[in-house]
Amino acid sequence: MFLAVGPARAGLLFCAALLACALNAFAQGDAKRGAYLAQAGGCAGCHTEAKKDAVPYAGGRELKTPFGTFYGPNITPHAEAGIGRWSEADFLRALRSGVRPDGAHYFPAFPYPSFTLITDADARDLWAFFRSLPADARNNRPHELRAPYGWRFLVGPWKWMFFTPGPYQADAARSAVANRGAYLVEALGHCGECHSPRNFLGGTKRERRLAGAAEGPEGKSVPNLTPAKLKKWDDRDLKEFLSSGITPDGDVPAETMGEVIRNTTSQLAAEDLSAVIAYLRALPAIPDEPR
Amino acid sequence: MSKSILATGFLFVFGAGLSMNALAQAKPDVIVKQRQAVMTLQGKYFGPLVAVAQGKAPYNAAAVQRNAGFLDNLSRMAWDGFDPSTRNEKSRALPAVYDNNAKFKEYTSRLENETSTLVTLSRGGDEAAVKAQIGAVGKVCGACHDDFRSK
Repeated sequence: MFLAVGPARAGLLFCAALLACALNAFAQGDAKRGAYLAQAGGCAGCHTEAKKDAVPYAGGRELKTPFGTFYGPNITPHAEAGIGRWSEADFLRALRSGVRPDGAHYFPAFPYPSFTLITDADARDLWAFFRSLPADARNNRPHELRAPYGWRFLVGPWKWMFFTPGPYQADAARSAVANRGAYLVEALGHCGECHSPRNFLGGTKRERRLAGAAEGPEGKSVPNLTPAKLKKWDDRDLKEFLSSGITPDGDVPAETMGEVIRNTTSQLAAEDLSAVIAYLRALPAIPDEPR
Repeated sequence: MSKSILATGFLFVFGAGLSMNALAQAKPDVIVKQRQAVMTLQGKYFGPLVAVAQGKAPYNAAAVQRNAGFLDNLSRMAWDGFDPSTRNEKSRALPAVYDNNAKFKEYTSRLENETSTLVTLSRGGDEAAVKAQIGAVGKVCGACHDDFRSK
């Protein structure tokens, strides 16, 4: 009798092993999907130098803000210069909670108030993609921040005031398409980081979300994305603008957006671009800030 | 022959002087309207070039050359319209145009160089180079709009 159970038990064990493998493969993250998500997230924008032949994701781009100048770090898998020693859990925690593997806070120039909304599955795919990049030895440049903004411990209270961690929750009041668009705009695209005004502490003003800013992150004005401004354009115009980088009358947007169009919006799958537009259309109309 | 060239040259120089004078006397609101007309027309000729560069419209060498030529001329026309007298006129031009005029001029001459190159390339047979150059022109447009035009 004992002998008879043997093969059955072995079979069960085999099945369990197979299941574990399958789960593991699922949990592993898909680098190809991650590559698309990295484009949708515009990661290259800050994590690549603004010069010809710059190594993608090896860092170096400067972001001049009223708080000082930030330099995007190297996120290739180089052990010393990049994030080669990180675990997947480190990466997920950086996106979700805005903390480094050693537990210190990131400055919110790294847009984790948006990236916290990214789902675990997408974050794993992103991680798989970044792991697949060639390691580059380009060293990080320290940020040059004005006191007191450079005091990292102050980011703790800042987070308490302006940061709500947690993945995106679909809003039942929105259509599935608009929810997908909301996820692309708010989580990956982090459009609100530039297109929302900030208070003097650098927190975005929630009641004016995506309604443009007289002074954006680099001190320049940024347009309103709510229907108050976008109503002049029909969906075709918007789609054309976000995929070709040119308005219906041949006008060229400021290069800050031009780059976002080249790297991100023009790379989106057609249904994702439509979803972005559906979400923007569904926003409450907020008139421009008085200037 | 040489006489007629001289005469043409003289007329050209003299004529240019005349038009400058006329411009200096135009009212600020007129100057703004004119420079905006130039910008509008740049869009008219640049838009179709972008469609060609992105493969959304077929590459028609004659049309590309024509648009590049028009654009190259237009790229020289708007700048004297950013006269200090127009500073307080209603337009999207930022005060930086006058406060940081050296940088503004750097962009305008960069655009002129890029459109010249586009004209030269459009006369050659290298379609890929022309398409890349159309992108380069767009980047200068956008770079200047970044710093000198309100959104």
